[in-house]
Amino acid sequence: MSERIAIVEDEQNIRENLAFALDREGYRVETYGDGLDAWQAFQNELPDLLILDIIMPRMDGLELCRKVRTLSENVPIIFLTSRDEEFDRVLGLELGADDYLCKPFSMRELLARVKVLFRRIALGREAASASDEELLQVGDLELDLRRYTARWRETTVGLTVTEFMILHALARRPGHVKTREQLMNEGYPHDTFVSDRTIDSHIKRVRKKFLAIDGAFDGVETVYGLGYRYTEGSS
Amino acid sequence: MVNLRRLSRISFRLFAFNVLLVFLPVGGVLILDTYERHLLEAQERTMAQEGRLLAAALEAQDRLDGESARRILVQLGQRHLARLRVVESKGRVVADSALLGPRRESAEPVDTAAPGATDKGLLYRIGSLPFRLLRGASDVPEAAVDLEVTAEDGEDGRNLGERPEVRSALDGRYGAATRISPDARRSVTLHIAIPVRLDGVVEGAVLVSQSTGRILQALDAVRLDVFKVFLLSLGAAVVLSLLSAMTIARPLTRLRRRAEAILDRRGRLRGSFTPSGRLDEIGDLERALAELTRQLELHLRSTEAFAADVSHEFKNPLASIRIATDLALEVDEPGQRRRFLRMIEKDVARMERLLTEAREISRIDADLDEEESTPVILDELLPALIEGFRLRLGRTGPELVLSLADAAIVVSASADRLTQVFENLIDNAVSFSPPGGRVTVGLRRDGQSAEVMVADEGPGVPEEHHERIFSRFFSYRPDGSAADNHTGLGLALVRAIVEAYGGSVTAVRHSGAGARMIVRLPLA
Repeated sequence: MSERIAIVEDEQNIRENLAFALDREGYRVETYGDGLDAWQAFQNELPDLLILDIIMPRMDGLELCRKVRTLSENVPIIFLTSRDEEFDRVLGLELGADDYLCKPFSMRELLARVKVLFRRIALGREAASASDEELLQVGDLELDLRRYTARWRETTVGLTVTEFMILHALARRPGHVKTREQLMNEGYPHDTFVSDRTIDSHIKRVRKKFLAIDGAFDGVETVYGLGYRYTEGSS
Repeated sequence: MVNLRRLSRISFRLFAFNVLLVFLPVGGVLILDTYERHLLEAQERTMAQEGRLLAAALEAQDRLDGESARRILVQLGQRHLARLRVVESKGRVVADSALLGPRRESAEPVDTAAPGATDKGLLYRIGSLPFRLLRGASDVPEAAVDLEVTAEDGEDGRNLGERPEVRSALDGRYGAATRISPDARRSVTLHIAIPVRLDGVVEGAVLVSQSTGRILQALDAVRLDVFKVFLLSLGAAVVLSLLSAMTIARPLTRLRRRAEAILDRRGRLRGSFTPSGRLDEIGDLERALAELTRQLELHLRSTEAFAADVSHEFKNPLASIRIATDLALEVDEPGQRRRFLRMIEKDVARMERLLTEAREISRIDADLDEEESTPVILDELLPALIEGFRLRLGRTGPELVLSLADAAIVVSASADRLTQVFENLIDNAVSFSPPGGRVTVGLRRDGQSAEVMVADEGPGVPEEHHERIFSRFFSYRPDGSAADNHTGLGLALVRAIVEAYGGSVTAVRHSGAGARMIVRLPLA
């Protein structure tokens, strides 16, 4: 049985086209024009993955996300946003989104995220029996490449898929500097129109999430004029 | 450059003005010079009178010798102020009042070095320097002859026949001369000579001489006083300048620093200006500045918000276009591909409309200022608009009903703008109308306002959105209505125009179904 994806988006064209594309990929798709309609439907049955627009009439995406999280902590949620700064605020609140894409985004990018999130969920359900080659261990940092999950000193860090991919690109070769452009290609492999400011805010959020677990975390280092690097000898 | 800036400083100017003011009494000293001239003329007249008296007395004696002259001088009892001398026709002195013993108390020494002259000392010298320099060239008398009683002035001894004034007197004319006094100061001695005629023949002359020292001394005392006052005033001016600098220039400097502090290094506005609460003019300036920065900040913030809104609004059609192109490239079926291209076409049109309306709404205030307001008769405008809608919609649209007031209702505005307002509202109502619905437009007079109501029988607007539907980019589109055709700027534009004309537009609550908008405009 294929996974059910809910699209909550007030833009009719986007909603219909996303539904068309996901349907072509073999997912079962349901669409809603605003948060309230979606919430009413979700109370009966929660889909397997949610794609939410942020600004919507009646009930916005953030409110809906908050409500959905009261029903399920695990259901993957991808936000579609048209304002970068908006999402900085949102993730500060730790709303529990698994990823987000800034409009306009490429269809392939969204499909890739959807696949990654489903894989994360599927593997997460299995017992934690990751094979060693799928694990990247760098000092206290442990990255599970199959589940797209990160652990710091045995504690799971709730990274979004994009954040995970950027951190993985850095941690794979500790000490080596990655430029913003390289990180963009890692974080958004299918999208060629991402601004490099986006990378900075992703890095900022990764640091914040690690600092929340370990106040002395300084693994992600800024190399001025070049980019970022992962330093192993942290704390 | 730096100096010029210093000179233009208010504190410096205050100082300069105050000091210049102090120099005004110094100008009074110049008036003293005129006074001095008058005094000197008066002195000469007095001397001439004394001389004539003596000459008359001598003439009355019928002879002119030392004996009789001295007797008369004695009889005069030294009540004269000047030195009186009598010469015979050859110019030889036969009598001299200076040799007749001490004078009465009223008569001061003819010209001794004034006792004060030396203790005036430095202060006097400094004060009088410019005057001495000025005077130096102008009126130095021709020769210096001692007026002091010297050994030479022996009884009947000295011959003064060579002196020009004596010569002219002996020739029968009035003679006068001025000579510098021997006291090394600038006082001079006036000499006059009056002929003494016996039987019509000039037999001798009376010489009257007196130093101007007394007058000058008195005037110098006045000058010295003026100079003292000047110095005191100068001191006061300096103190006053400092005080006024402290009360005006320094608060202004502080104000400037605080004004500069609200700009960051790149000259951008950071935070707002808070007035210090002073009650004076500087306080007024601060309050004006605070208001200015507040308005500026407000304007900046709304401009930034507007730019953010516009870019945000652009991202939706852009995202839609991107997804549609992705899909159009992937699908093979021509019908589907055409469907995606149609969507792209629609989104492009929407972006164009968005651009136009965003530009229009951002310039609305400036544009309305330029447009002329004329009396607009609403009873004529509205039927024409409705007729236009009926023609355009044909049979497919909702029924349009217009109800007018009995009397003509006229407002002052641009007819084009009012058309825009009512077209937007009716357009909205039409697009929300269910099939076979009815759009009602009503015009009536309400006090001093014209009231236009536009109502439809559509889904209506929930009350919590009654305000928000007029904010830009907020678009309330319940499913099923003709969505995606609207930019969310239509009602914002309506509100901007109506408010610019001093009116209002609101969505009102009512018992029936559908939305009801009411526009109020002040009557012309």
